[in-house]
Amino acid sequence: MALGPPADSRTPRDELADTTAHGALYLRRLRLRQLTLSILALVAFGALVGVLPLAIDLLPQLRRIHLLGVPVAIWLVIVPASPVFLALAVLYARRADTLDEDFRELVRRR
Amino acid sequence: MIAILAVAGVTVGTLGLGALGIRLARTTSDLLVASRAVTPWWNAAAISGEYLSAASFLGIAGLEMQNGTTALWQSLGFTAGYLALLLFVAAPLRRFGSYTIPDFAEARLRSPRLRGLASFGVLLIAGFYLVPQLKGAGITLGVVTNAPYFVGVLAVGLVVAINVALGGMRGITYVQAFQFWLKVFAIAVPACLLLIHLGGLPARAALFGDRLPSAGPHGLVVHLGAPQPVTFPAATPYAITPVHGGAPHQFRAAAGAQVTLPAGLLRLPAGAPVPVANGTQALRGSEWATPVGGSGERSPIFVYSLLIATFLGTMGLPHILVRFYTNPDGPAARRTTVRVLGLLGVFYLFPGVYGALGRALTPQLYITGSTDTVVLRLPQAAWPGTVGNVLGAVTAAGAFAAFLSTSSGLLVSISGTISHDVWPRLARESANTSAIRRRRFRIAAALGMVAPIIVAFFAQGIDIGLLVGWAFALAASTFCPLFLLGIWWPGLTARGAAVGMVAGGVVATAGIIVGLALSEPNGIAGALLAQPALVSVPIAFLAMIAVSLRSSGGFAPDAEMLALHAPEGLDLPDLGVRDPFVLGPRWAD
Repeated sequence: MALGPPADSRTPRDELADTTAHGALYLRRLRLRQLTLSILALVAFGALVGVLPLAIDLLPQLRRIHLLGVPVAIWLVIVPASPVFLALAVLYARRADTLDEDFRELVRRR
Repeated sequence: MIAILAVAGVTVGTLGLGALGIRLARTTSDLLVASRAVTPWWNAAAISGEYLSAASFLGIAGLEMQNGTTALWQSLGFTAGYLALLLFVAAPLRRFGSYTIPDFAEARLRSPRLRGLASFGVLLIAGFYLVPQLKGAGITLGVVTNAPYFVGVLAVGLVVAINVALGGMRGITYVQAFQFWLKVFAIAVPACLLLIHLGGLPARAALFGDRLPSAGPHGLVVHLGAPQPVTFPAATPYAITPVHGGAPHQFRAAAGAQVTLPAGLLRLPAGAPVPVANGTQALRGSEWATPVGGSGERSPIFVYSLLIATFLGTMGLPHILVRFYTNPDGPAARRTTVRVLGLLGVFYLFPGVYGALGRALTPQLYITGSTDTVVLRLPQAAWPGTVGNVLGAVTAAGAFAAFLSTSSGLLVSISGTISHDVWPRLARESANTSAIRRRRFRIAAALGMVAPIIVAFFAQGIDIGLLVGWAFALAASTFCPLFLLGIWWPGLTARGAAVGMVAGGVVATAGIIVGLALSEPNGIAGALLAQPALVSVPIAFLAMIAVSLRSSGGFAPDAEMLALHAPEGLDLPDLGVRDPFVLGPRWAD
């Protein structure tokens, strides 16, 4: 450490690389941001897909109404989940990559 | 005949592409992670190909026909598992650079003993997941060629063991990508033709109305190879011609009558409700078509428990995780997972068609209790003649692709674990270390197949869905909390992880064993015994957190957190969390 650069010229990247308390703090912030994003996506998943079994259980008319000869309840199990998964996944992946990119910007600056 | 050719073609194609892989597999890292040079699309197709197993290809449709549309939640859960993987595991774990679950357990918590526990879990889950694949192979070859059950089990077991031992993962990445598209083709084309040809869903009353599954307008003739105990749900006349010929005997069954039908030719008159094999319940159309509602395996509790098991269990399946290390970096791991979600979504649109049409067109499967074969038998039933034979061959080939690819992935995990966790380490580095490691991997691949084949011989009567459900519940109650807490919570300790994994695993296993022992448990308790994840997963999490808070990990996991979460491109020095292929002491031992 004595041979390292003077303290004022150290970048956050150096703090990270040396796993200093400072560096750990930076990383903690990124980790919590990513975790918040993941949990948000999880909540969205729960709200859109996780309520399906309960909705079908509580709304018997979904079983009586037929669409193209098949009860709506069955359509609900098979069809809408995949597009919802895909949309959530695309949105999440894009946002997560952006968070990583922001972090790179942050720790690289002088 | 066409079906035999198709199945042989898939098998030879698998071996051929595997052989192509042999020429490419030079180093051990080639064998295990294909040198990380696989693009997201190839990887996504390979992951999906490996994932779509006997349970997806045959099991969902079979269970749907037998138990009703509740089975369709399985396909939703199987896909959702990759969302959980994407949100919480894919990128950090790829960055961390461990190659197997035991690698992760040891490196994150700095505990060699935890590695041992994790290895045990990998062998258990992978082994139990392998058995239903082999079982599926046995019954499929039986349908196609009338071969005895053990022939299919042995054939698939041998092909997979040879392929994995010689080609390793480099070989099977391309094989599995190929098999994914084969499976989509094999399930989608007959399903679309069935819907178009039949002008939408026929016999709607039996499907969604108040009818029981019944013989068609020309009656039903079923060949019974052995005496078959059945229950008649409604009063009906029937006739049986004995095996050795002679005049048919006429009978009349009362509603609810339990009869053991002798071997011979069973004839039911047109429109007669079919008797059902013991262990199956005859369902009216409206009941059958209810995805959730009621008690036992139709209750919301059961459905949610199943969704939890599949949502959280997927990340803990050993053969799935391994493949994420073939991504070059964290963002690529995310991109791959997004593609997997898209690919699986396409596949899972189709199995439901077979279960529904099977109820109308192949009611004889209720009598013999072999609804697991509905995907294989439905084409011949819909189009007697050449078209049916060709499409039947297509689904049989797809089913074989499912067994081959999933078994290959599982066997790679098993042999990787045996060859460098169970086998004593090499004393020191020498010139031929890598040759020895390669040989060990190959021997382990051969040995790792022996036990599952033997268990599969005895598992002929056990439901594919039961074994698969158990594997998912176990994975969700052990490895899922290990990953989620290990990746996102610096406070996890080795002791906490061990206690949590054991607690979750024991509760999940006990639930299923008690459920089996009580045979037909009902109500909320019955639902939770059949699928214990709703209870066992929270117990595992709570145990891990509670014990971790009361014990000390003995170190601050700053380096580990950095390796898990720091984005690429920062030129950070190696901080002691090793890429097993480049630096790892374990790997290089």
